[in-house]
Amino acid sequence: MRPSRRLVGVVAAIGLAAITLAACSSNNSSSSTTSSGGSTTGSVRTGGTLTMGLDENLAGFNINTSAASEYVLQEILDQVWPQPFIVNAALKPVLNTQLITSATSGGSPQAVTYVINPKAVWQDGTPITADDFIYNWQAQSGNSTYTDIGGATYDAASSSGYNQIATVTGSNPTGGAACDPGSAADRNVGLCPNGRTVTVKYTTPFADWQSLFGNLVPAHIARTVGWNTGFAGPAQTISGSWYEIQSYTANQSVVLVRNPSYWGTPGKLDKIVFQFFSDDTQEVPALQNNEVQLINPATVNTAITQSAAQVPNTTKVTVPGLEFEHLDFNEADPYLAKLPVRQAIAYGTNRQEIISHTVGEVASGIVPLGNRMFVASQPQYVNDGSQYDTVNPSKAESLLSGLGFKKASDGYFQPNYGPQSGQDLTFTIQSTSGNSTRAQTEQLFQAQMKAIGIKINIQNYDANTFFGTNLPNGTYQIAEFAWVSTPFPSGNQSIYCSYTSSSCGQNWLHYANPAEDKLLAAGSSATSASQETTDFNQADKLLWNDMATLPLYQKPQYFAWSNKYGNVIPNASTTGVPWNANLWGLKAS
Amino acid sequence: MLAYILRRLVISIFVLFLATILVFLLVAESGDPLALLRANPKIPHRVILARENLLHLNDPLYERYWIWFSHAIHGDFGNTVAGQAVRPQLVSHLLVTLRMVILATLISIVLALAVGVYAALRQGKVADHVATVTNFLFLAAPVFVVGLLLKEFVAIPINEHLNRIVFYTNGEQSPTLSGSFFSRLPDYAAHTALPTITLILVSYSSWAIYQRASILETLDSDHVRLARSKGISPRRVLMRHVFRNALIPVTTVIALDFAAILGGALITEIVFGWQGLGIWFLNGVNGLDINITLAYLLVTATFVILFNLLADIIYAFLDPRIRYD
Repeated sequence: MRPSRRLVGVVAAIGLAAITLAACSSNNSSSSTTSSGGSTTGSVRTGGTLTMGLDENLAGFNINTSAASEYVLQEILDQVWPQPFIVNAALKPVLNTQLITSATSGGSPQAVTYVINPKAVWQDGTPITADDFIYNWQAQSGNSTYTDIGGATYDAASSSGYNQIATVTGSNPTGGAACDPGSAADRNVGLCPNGRTVTVKYTTPFADWQSLFGNLVPAHIARTVGWNTGFAGPAQTISGSWYEIQSYTANQSVVLVRNPSYWGTPGKLDKIVFQFFSDDTQEVPALQNNEVQLINPATVNTAITQSAAQVPNTTKVTVPGLEFEHLDFNEADPYLAKLPVRQAIAYGTNRQEIISHTVGEVASGIVPLGNRMFVASQPQYVNDGSQYDTVNPSKAESLLSGLGFKKASDGYFQPNYGPQSGQDLTFTIQSTSGNSTRAQTEQLFQAQMKAIGIKINIQNYDANTFFGTNLPNGTYQIAEFAWVSTPFPSGNQSIYCSYTSSSCGQNWLHYANPAEDKLLAAGSSATSASQETTDFNQADKLLWNDMATLPLYQKPQYFAWSNKYGNVIPNASTTGVPWNANLWGLKAS
Repeated sequence: MLAYILRRLVISIFVLFLATILVFLLVAESGDPLALLRANPKIPHRVILARENLLHLNDPLYERYWIWFSHAIHGDFGNTVAGQAVRPQLVSHLLVTLRMVILATLISIVLALAVGVYAALRQGKVADHVATVTNFLFLAAPVFVVGLLLKEFVAIPINEHLNRIVFYTNGEQSPTLSGSFFSRLPDYAAHTALPTITLILVSYSSWAIYQRASILETLDSDHVRLARSKGISPRRVLMRHVFRNALIPVTTVIALDFAAILGGALITEIVFGWQGLGIWFLNGVNGLDINITLAYLLVTATFVILFNLLADIIYAFLDPRIRYD
């Protein structure tokens, strides 16, 4: 998981930062499958063009690099680079059987076997083989043995999972041919790079194995142009999927057309155009003017939803996303280090009131979030924090009184120890500046805390300072921001495992609990989906007991599209709405 | 005159050099360009080290300045935080800005002069009041309001009425555009119309107000009264004695405004999704992208100095009394 900054980009496709769940099927079991690569809602005809508005420009085309790991690029590459697993609208990873005919995980040590469709080829006719998997593993392994052209360090957006792989080998080349011996230059000697069956062996179990090898980079191109900066445009970013990139005009648009080399069921639309917008709010007039037919603005507010509501002949949908706002308590603070103080804040926070005055204005049915590992729209979700659903000021005050804090005549509690001894108990909440929803949340929180005798100051910072300096350095008391998840929960490990461990780099709250560490580790290496869910839900329950953070609400995502088009199915994951764009089309009359 | 221009050029270059030092220090100390990468624990440390080397972040400040400056004077502005060359981006965004502002500025100048002169010659009459109120209305209206109103109440209704897109509300051209330049021209025009009209409306108004005031002041001057008393025709008085003199203050305003507009009509770019210099700079600042910020500031500083110089030269042509010795 990572803090929410759509402008910074998201974890690539199927969530490299993360995380697994339904994915970790039982030993030797096959994954769930889809034959079409998506779902349908009705019949559509072949032909036509759909233009979708995007709210960011691109920093390159290799989404697996730190520089180009952006949500909008994932939306483009959904239909361009091969995706062994596709996260569907139900937030479940399903096997793309047009690319991989089977994928099984099992054994000890864990081994995953992918069988590539023998017809699968890149746009230039080069077969998709084990070599592509070998190269993608090497580039993202974090192992300094492997380097990009010119000896440069591979710029990988994440090494999660790839750094647990021991070997990637091929077998069973097409038509019973002999294994290619490989070459030292390509670092695939003896690995049967032309094999159509790929075996990935892990050193330690990795529950999220389905999250790996999404956005498969063409190895034969990457070795020539370079992984880090070689994928600058359509010429290098060749397709291994339904659509190929016909043109890219920097800062303006990307045009996809059907990939003539695609071996499976072709996409319905002739063209899919992605047009970039500098300002989310300008997407609605463009929808009204029929310049675009589908929008998914990053910002969801009443200005957008109300103006979009006036656009006729369009479908508007608000769906709960995988992003959730929360309050982060820094336990390095001498007062927030006390559990009763954190619990008092949680009991005094009227989350429903915050929701009503913020996201509740654009989407109905949003309730306080009761889980950090799963959001309410996921089947694994359990409300572990139900005792905090109803605000309880008297309980909050009794917890503070229980610490020996005295309520002064001004209505605020005064601690009896530490730097604020004899003074009003005061905390500063900080967040990103320029975000009206967060500013509103902070003001409501300030008023709610005043009611239970805690003084709150508000101090906001630009996103770079907040995310880049204050959070990592722990220079905050209470922080309000969002985490963006993927369907894979193991990415939560680095947030909630004890901060004393170097592998827990996102634990900025100075939380530490060995029992939590064990549950998170067990969940991340679980060998069954049910066990993983159980482990992560237990880990979340412990976090509620320790009141490490206070989840607020699941952020909604907004989609609007022209009624002329069918099979547009919103997807709240980082895969984005084009997850099934191969099935989009003009409705059959 | 030539000596003056050369002297001004030398001084301008010196000012520009001092500006580069100041700008570099301010930008280099504005924050860590890799802060966001460092905040993401999934990014391997060696990736960040490689990026630090690429951007020379570990070198002493004076070395970093010299590396940047010695490359910049050859047109090499280094790489972005993402590792892409800055120069092609600068050129691309500058061309977009030029396409939007040159036509708008030319039309604005003509419109401002015409409206300003017409209003001044009919001072106190209905036409003057209408022109003045309209000018102040557009002067007071925020750019984004003008842009949004044009979209909502001009472009979309016309398009809906004609059942085809005559005015585009976003972007510089259609994504699927192909063919010869002339066959693409209607598409360019359909995309350029709204941002150009917006810029015209917000630019011409202030210039027209200046022009009107300047004409009125000149009409009231002694040399004009003398010309009239000599029986020179009103048209000749206007063109030879009033208009030429009245252009002097307006020329300064237009030259400086144009330099500023070349730096990017940021709000217009945002409203209409044009990727000009302004939006490029804004993204550079937000992303703490040092080299983008530096390149932008260097280019805009150069524009300001150049157009100041140009304004002074035009002065001399407009007013023979002005001499630079």
